Amino acid sequence: MPVIEFREALRAAMTEEMERDKNVFLMGEEVGQYQGAYKVSKGMLEKFGPQRVLDTPISESGFSGLGVGAAMCGLRPIVEFMSWSFTLVCLDQLVNNAANVRYMSGGQVKVPIVFRGGNGIAHQLGATHSHRVETIYTRIPGLIVVSPSTPADAKGLLKSAIRCDDPVIFLESEKVLGDKGEVPDDINFTLPIGVANVERTGKDVTILSYGRTLIRAVRPAIKQLESEGFDPEVIDIRTLRPLDIATIAASIKKTNRCVIVDEDYGYCGMGVGIIGKLHKLCFDDLDAPIERIASDEIPVPFNHFQEEAMIPSVERVIEGVKEVMYRK
Amino acid sequence: MAVADVAVAPSKSVSSSDGQVERQRLRTMLLIRRFEERTYQEYTKPGQKIGGFCHLYSGQEAISVGLAALFDKKRDYLINGYRCHGHSLALGMDPRLGFAELFGKATGCSKGKGGSMHFFDASVGNMGGHGIVGGQLPLGTGFAFAQKYNKTGGFTVCLFGDGAVNQGTHNESLNLASLWKLPIIFMVENNGVAMGTEVHRHSAETDLAKRGLGYNMPTMNVDGNDIDVFITEIGRAVDRARRGEGPTYVSANTFRFRGHSMSDSMATYRTKEQQDAARSRDPIALYSDRLIKKSLLTSEQLEAMEEEAGEIIVKAVEQAEADPHPALEDRFNDILAETYPYQPK
Repeated sequence: MPVIEFREALRAAMTEEMERDKNVFLMGEEVGQYQGAYKVSKGMLEKFGPQRVLDTPISESGFSGLGVGAAMCGLRPIVEFMSWSFTLVCLDQLVNNAANVRYMSGGQVKVPIVFRGGNGIAHQLGATHSHRVETIYTRIPGLIVVSPSTPADAKGLLKSAIRCDDPVIFLESEKVLGDKGEVPDDINFTLPIGVANVERTGKDVTILSYGRTLIRAVRPAIKQLESEGFDPEVIDIRTLRPLDIATIAASIKKTNRCVIVDEDYGYCGMGVGIIGKLHKLCFDDLDAPIERIASDEIPVPFNHFQEEAMIPSVERVIEGVKEVMYRK
Repeated sequence: MAVADVAVAPSKSVSSSDGQVERQRLRTMLLIRRFEERTYQEYTKPGQKIGGFCHLYSGQEAISVGLAALFDKKRDYLINGYRCHGHSLALGMDPRLGFAELFGKATGCSKGKGGSMHFFDASVGNMGGHGIVGGQLPLGTGFAFAQKYNKTGGFTVCLFGDGAVNQGTHNESLNLASLWKLPIIFMVENNGVAMGTEVHRHSAETDLAKRGLGYNMPTMNVDGNDIDVFITEIGRAVDRARRGEGPTYVSANTFRFRGHSMSDSMATYRTKEQQDAARSRDPIALYSDRLIKKSLLTSEQLEAMEEEAGEIIVKAVEQAEADPHPALEDRFNDILAETYPYQPK
């Protein structure tokens, strides 16, 4: 199986789907002539031409809403945001139009569109460019929210998202675009949306995470926990909405302990929504309160060391696991 | 009466020799007026059956019926703000479906999920009323993008009120549409007041056609109360769009006879003199007088048409009242198109 970068996996997914279906097109800031702000779409303008790879003005409301309109007419747009932080200026188009128009029309239209780009804290971009938007979108009925952690998942899930008839919020991270991994090159390779991935089975504790945090904080922590004799089960949530609560609950019924690790804020953050569901389903199965490892409740600082300090670290994941196992 | 017939009138046809096309347009204008005035009654009478916000179109009928005359339901799109009842009827919607929607019934044009501000009939290119001021402009631009992408020869008319010209989406959509030469007409239905704030108090430039300047596209003012003038002038913009020459910006100038919404009597911003002056240019009277002068209509015919419109509305309300509310479980339907977990076949 070929080993490629995360960004190449995204590109392969888009390229294969554009070759497969002429209704699929890509638009966004700098996706064409510039070859992509993060080089995800490198070479695609040359391959597909300016009718299908469109450089947009810096007009997030304009081009995201344009995409929704095109989708309502049967096209299948892929809209790239340079950063999900920039979608704070076009929330109306995503929340009121993409998510609601099918419902408010009584089901007369579909909105087959993918919005994708980097989510969360990148590297010293400051508070305005470092938002973690998952809870903004995950709480909205009518949207699908996907956040892959590996190149293979990125490809399989993006291909499914493009073929899906609903609006998909596809959350990537600038910091893992260079990560490499084995990725199937079969054009029929897709992955299911709405299914979590149990990436390590274990009996001691269920660790829930997704996206960059899973790669940078959870995986290294697992290695150390293993060396200390712990046997954690790790679930990559992958789809934040709809949440695969069955897989998560089944795991907790087995381990009786749970740690949620995400880069969002603690208060009203992503983990809170998951805990809300788990309280109902797993209250009697839990031997310890669910532990949350989240970011500090501060605007994201510019200073490199402060920025690193605010997000979940390997150490905090290890501490969290020991906390729920009363092994401090 | 086949309301739908109005929309199959040949493009730009202002007149026909026997007056049939004209009388059909007049019928539709009368039907819209009756629909709105009955809506006013239903909203305000004891035991109110219509909930939520509701914005009436009385006084602006020439615009929607004029647009319908230029509209090809197979390839064109219309998108609108929340003052959307008139356009839906002009494009052939059965008034019963309109009242059913206002009453929240299952038979409503949006299954009782949209209400007054969200009349949809996608099968004829009516892509909805939209409740957020200016929120629909990017969507309309996207319809025109799809029309160009698929080379359909169709155009989109994107309607909004004068309040929307101050939203950011107005700038972004006009720029994108002209940059990409999209087949769209941006049309301000300029009734002179954004809710209760008159144009001179909300727009630094009071000639709203000029709000379309700076985007490298033609802009124009048009009399929104004279349907003949409207069809002729807008017909040129439609042709331009169909030829692939890009967007046009129009201020269709008109006056609404009712308040912004149901709770508004216009007392705070419009004098009786202003209202009287506007009533003297009632688009329906303007048109029917002209047709009578041209001997395309008799006053007896006009009376009969008014009566007929009234009967249609009475019957539509009766039917809509008898129609069922949606099942409570139906509130979970029409959210997503796929079932999950989802994986392509």
